[in-house]
Amino acid sequence: MPYSIEIQNTTRELLASGQVNCVIGYEVGPRGQTRPAFIYTPEQAERLVWNQACTHNLSTYLVEKLASKGTREASLNRVAIVIKACDSRAINVLLSENRFHREQVHLIGVVCEGILEGAGKFAKQASGESGRYQLRCQRCQERTPLVYDNLVGEPVDHPPGFAGEDECTVLGDLQSMTPAQRSEFWLSQFDRCIRCYACRQACPVCDCPTCLYERDDSLWVGMGIGLNEKRAFHLGRAFHLAGRCVGCDECERVCPMELPISLLNRRLAQEIESAFGYRAGLAPVPPPFVTVLDDR
Amino acid sequence: MYEPKIIAYLCTWCSYTGADTAGIARLNYPANLRAVRVPCSGRVSPELVMRTFDQGADGVLVLGCHIGECHYDSGNHRTAKRLPALKTLLTFAGLEPERLRLDWVSASEGERFARIVNEFTEAVRDLGPCHWRQGIVWEPDLNLQERRQAIGMPEAGD
Repeated sequence: MPYSIEIQNTTRELLASGQVNCVIGYEVGPRGQTRPAFIYTPEQAERLVWNQACTHNLSTYLVEKLASKGTREASLNRVAIVIKACDSRAINVLLSENRFHREQVHLIGVVCEGILEGAGKFAKQASGESGRYQLRCQRCQERTPLVYDNLVGEPVDHPPGFAGEDECTVLGDLQSMTPAQRSEFWLSQFDRCIRCYACRQACPVCDCPTCLYERDDSLWVGMGIGLNEKRAFHLGRAFHLAGRCVGCDECERVCPMELPISLLNRRLAQEIESAFGYRAGLAPVPPPFVTVLDDR
Repeated sequence: MYEPKIIAYLCTWCSYTGADTAGIARLNYPANLRAVRVPCSGRVSPELVMRTFDQGADGVLVLGCHIGECHYDSGNHRTAKRLPALKTLLTFAGLEPERLRLDWVSASEGERFARIVNEFTEAVRDLGPCHWRQGIVWEPDLNLQERRQAIGMPEAGD
């Protein structure tokens, strides 16, 4: 595993020289599942790995790790993070929203081969999996991180063998239904939701300090588990992510009830791309929803 | 006979005054419209629109100032970008796109206001009752009264 060694060496250097306080990466847990790891000393660096189950979008943890705890010095926390191509787009979105300064993060970019289905599960559970790439990886157009300080692996321009596969059939099917059928489809999906907020927690760009959907003093957003309120939650969340969602599909992976949440996000991403020619996270520029109209 | 229930969010600086102008000019427009006055069309959040449909509206009309005439400079720019996306999303979730409409009416355009309301009401009437709430067991919000009191809102009239 040359990638793992390279990541470990970089981590040791960064921590030993005091350039960063913490390195966020992946490790393999006791039951064989790949999971996020937070490394604070050079000695711990050997825990870090890279494999095809590194599915988590670690940029989720970044804002919290960089958060200043009151003092001015703390706001100069510096953190290094292992990122894939999709994660790097999330970093760009966070940068465009001024969540932190570019100098505060050291990005260890990894040229991603694609992540396998069943990643993040315990080895026992995952062994029965097909060994196929995740759908998001089949759709992936990047592979090489768009922004990084160190690059692990050789940059690839075009993802060979990935592109071209049309995974939008479900989207197309849904759009050819009548409104009543679509409504029925979505209600049957949202019916399973248990409002555990796992989708929100896993999302790298969904990190309001107080979530609008978890406030009980609001008169028009329900906190209950009525079907209408669950629908409003999911549609509302999808709308809040419009133009910001990078399509890492972590929300769908972590959902215990297996709701097809990413369909909503992808439909909106399609719409944003056709209306504004904008794909989230390709550069640290503000998304179209917060800017004024062009001169047209 | 079926009468659609239409909620209109009117920007206080243009469209609400535009509705007044229509009234002063004694123009006819359908009584199906319930006007809600908002400080700016940019204030109409997706939650507000979804809640309106959840509560049984058959159509939601959002009227704001013409582009370039916003009292807050760029509020309607954002509406112009966000509402079409919301419409796409709600359509994807099973709402007929005709039930949500965004348009611009300035304070002097009473005639335009009446025309838009007429058009929209007819369009929604043709669609028939909204199925947005079908399949949902409606549970009354038992805590609503408490929540209203907590933020100092007056008691509900009905």
